[in-house]
Amino acid sequence: MILLLSLVTALLHITPTVVLMKRPDAVAAVLPDARTFVARELHLSEADARRLHQAVDWSPEDGVLTFYTGRNGDDVAGALMFVRVDSPHGPVEIAVGFEPRGAIRKVVVTKATVETKPWVLQAVRAGLTAAYEGMQAGTMPDGAGTVRATVGSMPTYMAERVDMGVARALAAYGTFYQPELMP
Amino acid sequence: MSYDLRRADIRLKWLVTCLLATFGIAYAFGAWMVALYAGFRPATVAATYGESEMPMAMPPDSTMVLEHKMDLADFSETAPHRVDRDLLIQDTHVHVPMYGVIAAALSCVVLGLSLRRGAGLALITLVFAAPWLDFAGMWLTKLVSPRFALLTVAGGWAMGAGYALIAGIALWQMWGPQKGPST
Repeated sequence: MILLLSLVTALLHITPTVVLMKRPDAVAAVLPDARTFVARELHLSEADARRLHQAVDWSPEDGVLTFYTGRNGDDVAGALMFVRVDSPHGPVEIAVGFEPRGAIRKVVVTKATVETKPWVLQAVRAGLTAAYEGMQAGTMPDGAGTVRATVGSMPTYMAERVDMGVARALAAYGTFYQPELMP
Repeated sequence: MSYDLRRADIRLKWLVTCLLATFGIAYAFGAWMVALYAGFRPATVAATYGESEMPMAMPPDSTMVLEHKMDLADFSETAPHRVDRDLLIQDTHVHVPMYGVIAAALSCVVLGLSLRRGAGLALITLVFAAPWLDFAGMWLTKLVSPRFALLTVAGGWAMGAGYALIAGIALWQMWGPQKGPST
């Protein structure tokens, strides 16, 4: 009976997506000074897609990278992008905001799943997203290393997924975001 | 057949009742989840599992850039919940084995029911075929045509119908008025 009910419990382990922070709130959090935005969609050529894949083992959905540039009047307030990372426990999505000079201003986790939400929140409370602030393209994020000592294995695992997402954002930003071309 | 739920030990009847109750809770929440994420109409299921409206069948020769202005409110995700191919691969990998075990457990209940052989075979076929139909519909909706969303809707209702039939008959036969002596 216990075995059977354990099995049933395992069977019910569904992982629908949970919004941790709505996108407009995430945008306001990572680019607080921005008032207007321009979405810049890059439909990657095969060569560029391959370059990105070789750099971070990632191909963006439908081959499209989208950067959002935020402005406050004539001043560029920064740029941001949303990145999704899949895992066997469901997807996690992050918003990564960059300062005008290219350093990460702030990272927030926008989506997780019913199953992963508590792990993600534990990792965030342990300082995961703060660990990314100031990072530049060309550096490797290790937020998981920051929280490993204070959280359990599953929050650390989710922190590694978030690391992966930040690495993708840094690679995409460093390779394809051309501030001088931004309106 | 010696396995007969009508005359089974009360402990076995209680086990089957608990199992059916647990599945019932799971199915009720499953229906709630479907209502939240995909809906019960073929049109909403097609919107969830269909391919993007502007698929990039081939990457462009050189990276193509599209820009458009946005306000903060434009970041709101009013689009329906979408399951892309990567997520559907993961969903299929995770859910199909689980549905198989649930179908096997329900089939074990069917084996203990006092039914004609043909009716038993039909019920067993129904509980296995319903998830096949469900996922076949999702994949065909994605790969062939949004019209196949109807299969997914049919599969979902068939799963619910199979459970309701088995639970109803089993509970009646186990706990309803008995014709013969119970052990």
